[in-house]
Amino acid sequence: MATAAIASAGRAASPSSPPARRGRSTKRRPGSRLKARNTLVGWTFVLPNFIGFAVLTLVPVLILFYVSFTTWNVFGTAKWIGIANYTRMLADRSYHVALLNTVYYAAVHIPLTLACSLALALLLNRRLRGMAFFRTVAFFPYITSIVAIAVVWNMLFSPQYGPINQFLHAIGVQNAPGWTTSATWSMPAVIIVGTWREMGYYMLLFLAGLQTVPAELHEAARMDGANAWQRFRNVTMPCLRPTTFFVTVMLTIGSFKVFDLILVMTNGGPGQSTLVLSQYIYQKGFGENQFGYASAVAVSLFLICILVTIYQFLVNKRRDR
Amino acid sequence: MKRTIPAAIAMAAAATLVLTACGSGGGGTGETSGTGPSTSASAEPTFDTPITLTMAAWSLASTPEFQALADGFHTKYPNLTIKLVEYDAANYDTQLTADLAAGTAPDIFVHKSLKTFPTYQSAGMALDVSDVAASLDPATANVDKYTVDGKTWAVPYRQDAWLLFYNKDLFDKAKVTYPDGSWTWDDYVTAAESLQKGLKAAGSDAYAAYQHVWPTSDWGLAAGQTPGADILSGDFQFLKPYYERSLKLQSEGAQIDFGTATTNSLTYQAQFGTQKAAMMNIGSWYIAALATQQAKGDADTFNWGVAPVPQYDTSTTKLDKVPVSFADPTGLSINAKVDKDKVDAAKAFLTFAAGEDGAKAVAGIGITPALINDAVSDVFFSAKGVPTDDLSKFAWSTRDVHVENPVDTRTAAIVNILSDMHSAIMSGSSSVDDAISQAQDRAKSEANAG
Repeated sequence: MATAAIASAGRAASPSSPPARRGRSTKRRPGSRLKARNTLVGWTFVLPNFIGFAVLTLVPVLILFYVSFTTWNVFGTAKWIGIANYTRMLADRSYHVALLNTVYYAAVHIPLTLACSLALALLLNRRLRGMAFFRTVAFFPYITSIVAIAVVWNMLFSPQYGPINQFLHAIGVQNAPGWTTSATWSMPAVIIVGTWREMGYYMLLFLAGLQTVPAELHEAARMDGANAWQRFRNVTMPCLRPTTFFVTVMLTIGSFKVFDLILVMTNGGPGQSTLVLSQYIYQKGFGENQFGYASAVAVSLFLICILVTIYQFLVNKRRDR
Repeated sequence: MKRTIPAAIAMAAAATLVLTACGSGGGGTGETSGTGPSTSASAEPTFDTPITLTMAAWSLASTPEFQALADGFHTKYPNLTIKLVEYDAANYDTQLTADLAAGTAPDIFVHKSLKTFPTYQSAGMALDVSDVAASLDPATANVDKYTVDGKTWAVPYRQDAWLLFYNKDLFDKAKVTYPDGSWTWDDYVTAAESLQKGLKAAGSDAYAAYQHVWPTSDWGLAAGQTPGADILSGDFQFLKPYYERSLKLQSEGAQIDFGTATTNSLTYQAQFGTQKAAMMNIGSWYIAALATQQAKGDADTFNWGVAPVPQYDTSTTKLDKVPVSFADPTGLSINAKVDKDKVDAAKAFLTFAAGEDGAKAVAGIGITPALINDAVSDVFFSAKGVPTDDLSKFAWSTRDVHVENPVDTRTAAIVNILSDMHSAIMSGSSSVDDAISQAQDRAKSEANAG
């Protein structure tokens, strides 16, 4: 019903629709009352969401852009300093470290999660007994508390007593990695946990996508003598392209904005080895009350996300042709 | 359908109203049950009309000191009531900042640490309480830390200090003599090594020492004790001996390594309370906490005591000297936007809380007040389970406490840099020299240190 109401509201508000009233003396056009009412109904449904969006997202984002050109410690008025925050960012070594770490996380996490979730979806897209159970198991990490995940994985990664390193020792690995206690291995450790946590969610999206692949195509390919890999490469993947595109975009934005997992697992350490942009924004803003500079870093993260997404859209569009 | 349209419109209107109400500012928190004028602020003012003051606090269930102060104050001034406004402990400063900026913060607020004090003070959020500060006992610790440009903006009611906790049973088992108040850090390392050997020989799997993962476990003590050390200078070379000792004890197996402690989220309460370590440096807040945990059965039952933290050199050891330690005071400020007719009552509360009455009230529940004298000490050590040997009493009541966070707007940034340096050194990711020199570079470029 809501969709119908919004659609009719859209029609009523379109410029091509005749004006509802021409004056008191003019006779009402038949159906105009209905249109006005439908418009009102449409707005009624849209308004709560729009106000929420405007008050909680749109206005703060606009203010963010303004604050990024100021120096502001939350109290009092923000002082306009032009592009000083941005020039400071260019010379800020910690910002560079955070940016590099974020790119490192995204560059490994995106393809890894994409591959794992697709593999999982293909594995669980069969008609077997207990498949619902295995799908639930795969999805479970996504709905588990991030703090619990961080605590348990930190214990698993414990360099001396953790089961992971004990297993590695058992199979003869000398000098097992220090994981979250080593500047070299902390990022891979975080990426492993991030991938494990999120692949269930993207698996679900891929599973939904796989249901749209026509069985006839597979059948025809099989008739033509295509093997499993050829069918996957030439039938499944092309049919999954809209899903893959959606997953890649969501995954990219999510990876650049990674925050909670790192905050609770390593807090950016050891040293600055897992410091990412979102955490740097939080640190500068809420930790050091430098809201102007934190906003400038946030704007840079926003622009990175937008640019990467636009690029992905362009690539996708080119492939569509 | 006919009914749903008006209902939907009404819901939308209600949602709009709620949202716009959220957006509009204002709305005071002051719950005044009477605004009668109070007498002028003399040494002991009287209040004839009831006044209710609001006060910011956190985790009321596990932090009873605020209620103890409020109750004690109400007993002294029956017409004055303190109503506590609970904040989330972990996000206290963020939430308080939002409320202060919006003009809706309580009449009195607590400075959880000195790190955030300069922000509140420089923003004009606190009322000048120099008259309250002037009336306090000169023995009250670190009042001057809240003084900026000759005026005092908060008064401390609580002042912990780091102490050396030791398990007498484990010392006996390892046949090592107890600390006697004469230890420097070298003596501490020697004792830890003897303990490690002794405990092993006695078949115990306890470690000699436990060092908690907090960055201040090293740099806080170093900055507090080293003569002339100042983290704002951007010169961190003075940290080197402290880190080298920690790494030595870690590599010798005398204390559990940093990586294991962080990955397993070890708590100092469990490490010392269940006898996994024979000694540990931690704040005085743990005295009452350990006594309570032993009484409840949350900690093992064993004999323990506290001694001064090991000293930088012998100039402050022995019982006729004042040992040097560190910790931040906890201070109280009056909101600059408080109603004028509540100011005297609020100042009376600050005078009470930072004075002997307040000190006794918090000492009675095991909190270390900013003012310690014999009467306060008697109250503190009368609690059940608290060690009452002479050294423990000396360690708790005799102290020269340096603050953890210098009062400066650059402190927060420098502390973050030192925290990164700490995890890099203690995890073995970086050598002490490299980590210190990197931290110095960052302090200069990111926080204008020096």
